[in-house]
Amino acid sequence: MKKQALLIALALGVFSTASSGGFDFGKVLEAMGQPPQKKSEPTPTAQPAQPTSGQPAQASAPQINLLGKVSQEDEIRIGKQVSGDLLGAAPLVKDDTLQQYVNTVGRWVALQSKRPDLPWKFGVIESEDINAFAAPGGFIFLTKGLYRRLNNEAELAGVLAHEIAHVTKKHHLDVLRKSALISMVSQSVSKEVKGEAAVQNLIGNGAEMMARGLDKEAEHEADRIGVVLAARAGYDPWGLPAVLQDMATLNAKDSRLGLLYKTHPTAADRLSRLGESVGDRFDILTAGKEFSDRFYRIR
Amino acid sequence: MIRISKTLGTLLLALAGSAALAAPGLALKDENMLAQPSATAATIGKMTKGATVDIVAKQGGWLQIKSGKSQGWVRLLSVRAGSGGAGGAGLADVAGAVTQKSDPSRVVAVAGVRGLNEEDLKGAKYNAEEMARLDRYTVNAAQAKAFAEKSGLKIQNVASLPKPASESGTGSPWGDY
Repeated sequence: MKKQALLIALALGVFSTASSGGFDFGKVLEAMGQPPQKKSEPTPTAQPAQPTSGQPAQASAPQINLLGKVSQEDEIRIGKQVSGDLLGAAPLVKDDTLQQYVNTVGRWVALQSKRPDLPWKFGVIESEDINAFAAPGGFIFLTKGLYRRLNNEAELAGVLAHEIAHVTKKHHLDVLRKSALISMVSQSVSKEVKGEAAVQNLIGNGAEMMARGLDKEAEHEADRIGVVLAARAGYDPWGLPAVLQDMATLNAKDSRLGLLYKTHPTAADRLSRLGESVGDRFDILTAGKEFSDRFYRIR
Repeated sequence: MIRISKTLGTLLLALAGSAALAAPGLALKDENMLAQPSATAATIGKMTKGATVDIVAKQGGWLQIKSGKSQGWVRLLSVRAGSGGAGGAGLADVAGAVTQKSDPSRVVAVAGVRGLNEEDLKGAKYNAEEMARLDRYTVNAAQAKAFAEKSGLKIQNVASLPKPASESGTGSPWGDY
């Protein structure tokens, strides 16, 4: 922990011009100030549920240095806060077999990444939207709407691998970092808003991070890493491209794709860019597994 | 390199979600159409970027398409499936539409029509019970490895993909994780 590190404050400027803008610095900062007993994460074993409200305790002096290297512990805390908020918007699908299956496939794919030891957690959430999410520290979610469109395990692996790549490349922390830089500039311009309370007034909800688009290049990078991770795990590498192809067949105005297309490049763009990178490089691979038969289908 | 092992059932993508044999698509680049789904197969035609094609079959990383009078195999990533909406408008049009919808800050997403939209996410309250459930489903590395071994999933040595030549900009400042 870098408790002594400077407090990055005030999501001003670009992010506060719209009331809906801004990452949840407040929640994130609160998370940084959780009581010591909560620091026992990231053990993957079950942890006691949080107190009734579930909100981490208010911090007296929560600090995190987003401009430097964020510790894995802090990263997981940020991810936990964001994920808890997301699950507040859309709970997990009540299907133990489904959740176990997705965690198993996801963990196997994540083991091929450069961060195999994160406490990876995967969940399918109750939403007919077609989307998937990642939060720092190894939290991955996909909607029931997306899961239903999948045809085999290789496609599931491909989707999860794309999200895993966001985590391993710390794409969301990147955005947080950029926000922090902007806020520093803003601070130097406007000295009048200071302090943690002001920060919390300016920001929205932790889950809003999910509604926020990443850099387009980050999405393309996650596609490149995603197909490779799926292939390394022994799956057919064409699972993710097949899912992108499927999305391309849907009307862009389909409301189930609303958030996806606000936060991602178009499927055509993604296929095209991925194609440039892949070229003939996968020609030498031995065929991976698709597992259409054993793929778990939601009742 | 022809993946004959693929079953016929997997030949057809869930393209357009229909049983129709041919699904519409759009050529994303100029590419030779090959006689077989293999880079070493003979060239039997030419697919032109922007052309509307019919996707007849899928096999591994290849799609069999009809373009004009020719029918042959091209790479899966060289064609975008679909005839309308997300795809139909074409690359530039879609990108433009998305950009126009964006907030000037380019970071704030516009609220969706329904479903899991930004408003839902903004108003969401931390759900500790669901987080506890999420924890219970956690699979550890040993369990994942056992699952892979049992199902014959073998680790493959696959090199990282380079950025496309067209792409500029720097990578993540967080280093190679």
